[in-house]
Amino acid sequence: MRRGWTVAALATTAALTLSACGSGGGADPAADAGPPRPGGTLTFAVSSDQGCADPQQVTSNDSVYSVRQLVDSLTDQDPATGAITPWLATSFEPNADATAYDFTLRPGVTFSDGTKLDANAVKANFDRVPALGARASLPKGYLSGYQGTTVTSPTTFTVRFGKPNAQFLQATSTHSLGILSPASAAKTDDQRCAGVIGSGPFVLESYVKDQATVLTKRTGYNWGSSLFTHPGEAYLDRAEFRVVPESGVRTGSLQAGEIDAVASIGPQDEAPLSGAGIALPARANPGLPFGITFNQATPLGSDPAVREAVSLGINRPEVVGAVFTSQTKPATSVLASSTPSFADNAALLGFDAARAGTVLDAAGWTAGPDGIRVKNGQKLTLPITFANNLSTVKPALELIQQQLRAVGIDAQLQEKQISDTPQIQQSGQYTALWANLTRADPDILRSSFWSGGTNYYRFKPGPLDALLTGQAAAVDPAKRAASVAQAQKLILTEHFTVPVVELTTTLGIAPTTHDVAFDASSRIQLHDTWKSE
Amino acid sequence: MTTDVLLPAEGTVPGAAVAVPVPATPRERLARLGRFLRGRPGLVVSIVFVALVLVAAFVPSVLAPGDPTLGVPADKLQAPGLGHVLGTDYLGRDVYTRVVHGASLSLQATVIAVAVALVVGGLIGLLAGFVGRWVDETLMRFVDVLLAIPAILLSLALITALGFGTVKVAIAVGIASVANFARVMRAETLRVRRSTYVEAARSVGTRWYVTLRRHVLPNAAGPVLVLAVLEFGLAILAVSSLSFLGYGAPPPAPEWGSLVAEGRNYLATAWWLCAMPGFAIAATVLSVNRISRALDGEWARFS
Repeated sequence: MRRGWTVAALATTAALTLSACGSGGGADPAADAGPPRPGGTLTFAVSSDQGCADPQQVTSNDSVYSVRQLVDSLTDQDPATGAITPWLATSFEPNADATAYDFTLRPGVTFSDGTKLDANAVKANFDRVPALGARASLPKGYLSGYQGTTVTSPTTFTVRFGKPNAQFLQATSTHSLGILSPASAAKTDDQRCAGVIGSGPFVLESYVKDQATVLTKRTGYNWGSSLFTHPGEAYLDRAEFRVVPESGVRTGSLQAGEIDAVASIGPQDEAPLSGAGIALPARANPGLPFGITFNQATPLGSDPAVREAVSLGINRPEVVGAVFTSQTKPATSVLASSTPSFADNAALLGFDAARAGTVLDAAGWTAGPDGIRVKNGQKLTLPITFANNLSTVKPALELIQQQLRAVGIDAQLQEKQISDTPQIQQSGQYTALWANLTRADPDILRSSFWSGGTNYYRFKPGPLDALLTGQAAAVDPAKRAASVAQAQKLILTEHFTVPVVELTTTLGIAPTTHDVAFDASSRIQLHDTWKSE
Repeated sequence: MTTDVLLPAEGTVPGAAVAVPVPATPRERLARLGRFLRGRPGLVVSIVFVALVLVAAFVPSVLAPGDPTLGVPADKLQAPGLGHVLGTDYLGRDVYTRVVHGASLSLQATVIAVAVALVVGGLIGLLAGFVGRWVDETLMRFVDVLLAIPAILLSLALITALGFGTVKVAIAVGIASVANFARVMRAETLRVRRSTYVEAARSVGTRWYVTLRRHVLPNAAGPVLVLAVLEFGLAILAVSSLSFLGYGAPPPAPEWGSLVAEGRNYLATAWWLCAMPGFAIAATVLSVNRISRALDGEWARFS
């Protein structure tokens, strides 16, 4: 008993001493960083946790940041050009109508449990994806029409689809189709959420829901993406992702040198952080901007006048200027401007409160005594469901609420947990949802707005479907871009979704931390990250 | 278990703190009140502050005519000054207006919470103390269970079951403090039940419920009412804590707790967002505490 106490006391003292040394060293700003050096622990603060550590089942950026490091993908995507480049696959080739893809794998890759990453392992992953639950809406959409994988040798295989699937190649570069070990892939959804085994530059050491994800370096890693700046193992020994819900605490800890990097900072923190010598790299997230998307199965969501009035009633530049960081731009289409095939539709997303009133008047929504419009005794009360996963979400929605009130729409804000979002989408228990979705491919439109897919927004079959499936089948990039442009225009003229602001990921990086790289989806890649000191 | 320990000697004047006769003219009483208050500036400040809070709760427009939910983004995050006495928040809403209008939501919840605790706890205590035997045993073991669970944890569990909203927060806080009221009410009832006049009433054949209503309840209620004032302060804190955690009214309703929560992200750059509603909560709790101390015999002991 007494001996145990002594050991515990010694351990505590040692830990305190170590942490004291660590924070003292980390606070020193390095004037000249010099060449990259291996070693060190990166502490990264995120604001939320989706409650899952399986890259194939997470969609929230805060969770993607950590689990992305656990897996390698077949391909990588160049953030500058959007080009697909080799990673696990040394060569990849679609057939003429994009219904089959031939891949050749790099030899000698192993998972961290020792098993080989070969064609059969990839097949096990892809075969398992269609059976995943609601959390895995992304990979399921990427593999829609999946007919099977034919393994021709340990390093070559062909992925076959029942209909043309032009977006699949980009999909193989995302975290959602990162390759897990066959043992992990075979587990149940919930077991996988507790932690998975991959072949990535980092290995999951521990995952505690809503607290922390700890990664350690994979020793012997030698199969990095062609886009990584150095071959071999990652520089960092460990990477610790801590969930810190308060943005004030995150930025305060970063300023104090307690942590090395934060995701999602607010506009009020920009000046203090850059004053403290902290770098603030930013990149607009491709995909769907933040906006309000309606549930078409609800009376309000299927009322075109209400949807149009919401779109006309929101003053996007005011929202962006008041709530978001200076690098953020208002939405100008249903796709963010950094997405390939983006078409500028700013003219369809103007602010016109007077016209919003006219539209509502024409539809029979007349102004009531308290300023809220009424039709057949029914008040125009629009519940908007949101997850408070970024510090900017609530202020933005409060301002939108105020703007909509001015045109006679009573927006009610209903806060839900980020981990509940897939269930809410699947159950359809909402009228309008505040959300975004990140992906560097225009096929994101089909994932969200196609009546034949997961169809979380309850679309009825219509002319939009042909455009969305058409772009998915178009092998010719020009043809595809034309379909995507038409789809964007149609979605905006029907106001199925009301895009408001492009999510711009702004990181705060301490002066001693270097080369935290954005990937094409504006998430981070830590293989090349290193710490001076 | 504790029945006999609390037994007072036969013939004690019941409710000594309440029933002290003050045979004086209104003029003399006023003079006495003046002397009483002159020596207690803290109490005067507390009474004035609580009066202001009550005005804010019932007619907030008198103190702050503006709209608490209307912001001017161009004026965001202005420091306290002439235009905005307590500054503006991240959307340019006036913090003073929001704190004043927040009083009504926060106090409404507090009043409901205390009422729930007083009525439910009071009835449980009264029944347990008056009926005794197995009813007492059953009810008090139930109260023991309630007491064993930390109040905030119990409130959180209830909120999860009831759902979000001001009234639901109030009910959750109220139920969590039922046990305190039940204990005090039971102790008082036990004391009063054994007094001579109650036994006299029973012996002349008064029905039990008449005895309970006419003799026991009025004489046992005093300490419970003082406890209610004291609990009022604790309930403001509990309601604010839950609304801080996001269980209260949906945005943009300005509850005090949620105002503090909203300000957290701006603590380093705009201290007034957290400080002002925080001050309102602290000052109200302290004032109510001071008043409840005055009610708890201070006036009676004053000569």
